[in-house]
Amino acid sequence: MIEVVEAGRWTTIQDRGRPGLERFGIPSGGAADWFAAAVANRIVGNHADAALLECTASGPTLRFDADTVVAMTGGHAAGAPDWQPVRLARGSILAVGTIAPGLRTYIAVRGGIDVPVVLGSRSFCQRGTFGGGFGRPLAKGDGISIGRMADLEPMSTSWPASHRLPSRGPWEVRVIAGPHQNAFAENALERLGAIACRVTPQIDRMGLRLETPGLRLQPGEILTAPMTEGGIQVTPSGGLIVLHVDHQTTGGYPVIATVISADLPLLAQARPGDTVHFRAVDGHEAARAWRRLSGWLGADH
Amino acid sequence: MWQVAPAGDRAMLVTLGHTIDPQLLGQVLALDQALHDRRPSGLVSTVPAYASLLCHYDPDVTDAGRLEAGIRELEGQLDASVAFGPVVDVPTRYDGPDLADVALRTKLTPAGVVEAHAGQEYLVYCVGFAPGFTYCGALPDQLAVPRLASPRLRVSAGSIGIAGRQTGIYAVESPGGWNLIGRTALRLFDPAADPPARFKPGDRLRFIPTS
Repeated sequence: MIEVVEAGRWTTIQDRGRPGLERFGIPSGGAADWFAAAVANRIVGNHADAALLECTASGPTLRFDADTVVAMTGGHAAGAPDWQPVRLARGSILAVGTIAPGLRTYIAVRGGIDVPVVLGSRSFCQRGTFGGGFGRPLAKGDGISIGRMADLEPMSTSWPASHRLPSRGPWEVRVIAGPHQNAFAENALERLGAIACRVTPQIDRMGLRLETPGLRLQPGEILTAPMTEGGIQVTPSGGLIVLHVDHQTTGGYPVIATVISADLPLLAQARPGDTVHFRAVDGHEAARAWRRLSGWLGADH
Repeated sequence: MWQVAPAGDRAMLVTLGHTIDPQLLGQVLALDQALHDRRPSGLVSTVPAYASLLCHYDPDVTDAGRLEAGIRELEGQLDASVAFGPVVDVPTRYDGPDLADVALRTKLTPAGVVEAHAGQEYLVYCVGFAPGFTYCGALPDQLAVPRLASPRLRVSAGSIGIAGRQTGIYAVESPGGWNLIGRTALRLFDPAADPPARFKPGDRLRFIPTS
């Protein structure tokens, strides 16, 4: 068991999510920074589907009642060494502390977090307030069981620094044009790519609001349409909403471009005030970027 | 002519039209069914809404060009005479916080709003936005009112709202900008149920006033 001594700002249980249920209004969800989460599981020797803790801005304090191995990845947490296996003896306390740079830290525990699977996943779904064991973020006093989803030995060394993503902005985020390019002037995406967008304080797992200083995009209207993770919606006032893992499954604002899968983790680590540059790429570059990260994780991912 | 556009590197959006129209919805559902039956290589799942269909694919198995070709083969080949579902009754208490305001705006009495809203069948065009949220149309012209100027932060599950030519049912508590005129005790979203959402596009329903 793990006892939650302090919950942290917004700590939830996540795994690889529940893709395929969007037609019921359910976002795929899962770890916002899928890459950091995959690495954390890999370091402790867990199956790729094991659930872990996603901490936001400031992490929890946890007490472990058995010997175990944990790994912290993603945003840098003040409280413990990250990107490496950390052996904890029974009775140990892990105080994650403040997270910076980056916004979200993942804590994988050898064996995985054991909570009931709801609709194919252990992830907490913010829009539906279900899953994640408690149907809410963790709270002080919660007890969490450890599962049996370890299938490899823990790594004996740190995760190589050369196989990590940038940890702080300015963020360069690659996008593919569309699907609603017709709702914009012909050069709109080019103009968006030429400016530095600014992350506002309005960011969560559903989406990130960005300002476009010096640029006022004028979106046309669309009929309500299905939306995907990474879609960059342009609101009538010209601001951007970049849809994230717990995004609305349909929406009425046109999407000028969509962030490629390999760069979605960057959105999970962007902080208010950071700048984001969007760069349009084609499907081939998106595929190369994906293969690069998959290669770092190994063939089993 | 269908528009097929990338929605990132693992999905593409097929847009069949731009209006709220039962026939267009019928075509979307026919395409959805045809893809379900044919299972083109690499297609993972689909999401229908109004006049478009999102197709998620596995880029390790197929690519956008091949999948688009597979979809285009169906253009003009679909039997769009899809039978919509039987009419489901939605017991409704018309006591929403915006009922009086909607009556003022539409120059009807509250009872007149209820009569107009409950007086016809609706087609479900989309389940989306949030888990189980059910978009229905078309609302009678006389009930068309704009969304609230500032959305509510919390709308409770079961709330029934109207906006523009649409009416919708909130299935889970969420923020919301629609004018709330009533609520139902019918449970529209249940993670333990299969399927988890009570309605799907192509279903039909009517609101039955209860006291």
